[in-house]
Amino acid sequence: MTSARTSVAAAEMNTHTGSRRDWIVAYLFLLPFLAVYLVFLVYPLFSGFWISLHDWELVGNFREYIGFQNYRDLWADVLFWKTIRNTALFASITVPCMTALALALALAVRRPGRLYAVLRGVFFASSVFSVSVVTLVWRMVLDGDRGLLANLFRSVGIRPIGFLGEPFWAMPSLAVATLWWGVGLPMALFIAALNQIPQDIYEAAELDFASRWKVLRRITLPGIKRTFVLVLVLQIVLQFQMFGQAQLMTKGGPADQTRTIVQYIYDTGFRDWQIGYASAMAVVLFVLMFSISMVQLWLGSKED
Amino acid sequence: MRKLTLASLLSATMLVSAAPTHAADVKLFRFFGDCAGDYGSVTDVSKANGECGIIQALTNKFNAENKIGAKVVTQTVDWNAYYDLLSATYTTGNIPDVAIMHRSILPNFVKRDLLTPLKGPLTKAGVDFADYVPAAADAVTVGDEAYAMPFDIHALLVHVNVDLMKKAGLVDAAGDPILPKSAAELIEQGKKFKEATGKTYIGMESDSKAAMTVRVFNSLVWQQGSDLIAPDGKKATLDTEAGSKAASLVDEMYKAGLVNKEQDYAGSEQAFLNGDTGLLFNGTWGVDNYDSQAKGGKAGLKSYKVANFPNLFGTPAAWSDSHLWTVPANPERKPEVEEAAVAFLKFLNDNNFQWARTGHLSVRKSVIASEEFKKLPHRSEYAETATIAHAFPAVQNQRAIQDVMITELTSMWLAGRTPGEALTSEQQRVDQILRRNR
Repeated sequence: MTSARTSVAAAEMNTHTGSRRDWIVAYLFLLPFLAVYLVFLVYPLFSGFWISLHDWELVGNFREYIGFQNYRDLWADVLFWKTIRNTALFASITVPCMTALALALALAVRRPGRLYAVLRGVFFASSVFSVSVVTLVWRMVLDGDRGLLANLFRSVGIRPIGFLGEPFWAMPSLAVATLWWGVGLPMALFIAALNQIPQDIYEAAELDFASRWKVLRRITLPGIKRTFVLVLVLQIVLQFQMFGQAQLMTKGGPADQTRTIVQYIYDTGFRDWQIGYASAMAVVLFVLMFSISMVQLWLGSKED
Repeated sequence: MRKLTLASLLSATMLVSAAPTHAADVKLFRFFGDCAGDYGSVTDVSKANGECGIIQALTNKFNAENKIGAKVVTQTVDWNAYYDLLSATYTTGNIPDVAIMHRSILPNFVKRDLLTPLKGPLTKAGVDFADYVPAAADAVTVGDEAYAMPFDIHALLVHVNVDLMKKAGLVDAAGDPILPKSAAELIEQGKKFKEATGKTYIGMESDSKAAMTVRVFNSLVWQQGSDLIAPDGKKATLDTEAGSKAASLVDEMYKAGLVNKEQDYAGSEQAFLNGDTGLLFNGTWGVDNYDSQAKGGKAGLKSYKVANFPNLFGTPAAWSDSHLWTVPANPERKPEVEEAAVAFLKFLNDNNFQWARTGHLSVRKSVIASEEFKKLPHRSEYAETATIAHAFPAVQNQRAIQDVMITELTSMWLAGRTPGEALTSEQQRVDQILRRNR
């Protein structure tokens, strides 16, 4: 009896120490990630906010605490508001188009077979290039004088359009280059999600003679809803940080029509050395992206 | 496999660290491109061409011949990112020992004591400051101190396709191109040229990145005896009568179809070389290349000449800037490294003629007076540029100012703004930048 009681107690203690050991092991595994996360994300976030409260020069030693003056200056900065409008316009073009295009491609190429495997590779391949390569290629296509499209237009007797030089076309042109560049990853995410929808549901639908449109609306789309929200949030965060395309293809022109927030942050911080003011902009951008993503996530979860 | 890679990485690291270190390694930070593939082992500078080739060959020659055991290690940076990266080195601590810098950038660095004063060290090494032409001496001097060593003056020129000009009847008896002497004449001759040849009269980068626009505009303002910034450096003087005349002329050039607004920098050069442009507005740096292409016989451009930027408003003036060599301040630099850096600068100064082969104007009176300089192709055609070269007033943040001016001026033909609208906005935004300057 005594020995039985002891063994039960020992077993209980074992589970107890066992679970504690699990916790320790779990934290040990998490530690590298947490360390990197703290050093490269959390610390810079707070440090950036701290810098934004200063008149702080990137080069040299000038630093002066000025409270929220940088934020007050931002409020009155016409160019900053313009970059926000430009960036929002860019995101409002690219995010829906990217999501729709990625989904369409995923639906088209997720089938088994060698041809589709090759096509998946082809559509994903453009994501591998660096922004400098992508912009170089697209400049060669869009250049109003020597570009591929300009030559095509001329060959059929139409006056070429200066896609990167005309205010109306500049932003859509950057969006097209971005779509071509970035569609690979969301497409891959959609393919993964589509493959998780059980095949028997489709078979059942087929037995019921459901139309393809009905299958898409009633089975496929609800089946990938979480991925859909994930892609949307990722795209919003990504497209709000657009920089390289504008910097390399239009340098923010014509007439600041394609100047984006990150480009303005870069110029202010690195060209003009005003890292305090640039940090204030970065904080505003962070809050903006964070809020939009939260709203998106909230909307996504509300419908569950 | 991974083990193998790791092992080879390790041995490679050991090899690098075991390589003989020189008495003084000088870290050189520059743009001008990377041509180590073509010129990596060339020490005969006369065999090198172009900015990149010549500076690479000069560096090789110094490394091979100097007696103090110095070795210059080059880090080439793409021109677009150059100043951002140079600025960043002050924060990361990896400060170069010698860095190329434009005259227009110098004020930012001097104001914050980021450069080593060089008058004493260079004089001691044997560099004669009295040999510099006044514009070059001005470029590096603040008060009584020199914060850099001048290397060239580069300025706006007109590159001419003589065949096309002849076709338009715009060549005199001596075979020299006839260039306009007033704003009205420019438009008139342009229309005549266009009618006779069906080609573009003026080639000039015109996209939303076009710095050439600003160079032309500045030159036109200076030609009216006016300036772009008030003498105290606190306010811009852009939205003025002179500014308005200059901007209106540029706008008119586009409206009359004399310039192809679809061309970017490379496009404008290509069109000129293809023989599709009468006059190319570009700097001294193009001379060497266009000359050899025209002589090479493969380009559409067959008969090439250069001219000073035409005086359209009475006072001759052409935009200019200068390449300067600096020694970025670094309290941790060893004295022998600084000595080696100065020795390298002295070597570059001794070879200033070689650099002038690029097309840039020499900064040394003795080189300009030399026979070998006079023998360089086309130099007599733009000799006057040395005296009419005009630099932007020495204020801080000229990169930001130039970017604003590019945006506002190009908006005339890219976004349909009037010269008045462009100038009002330009004035306001440049004033804002000047207000920030400490």
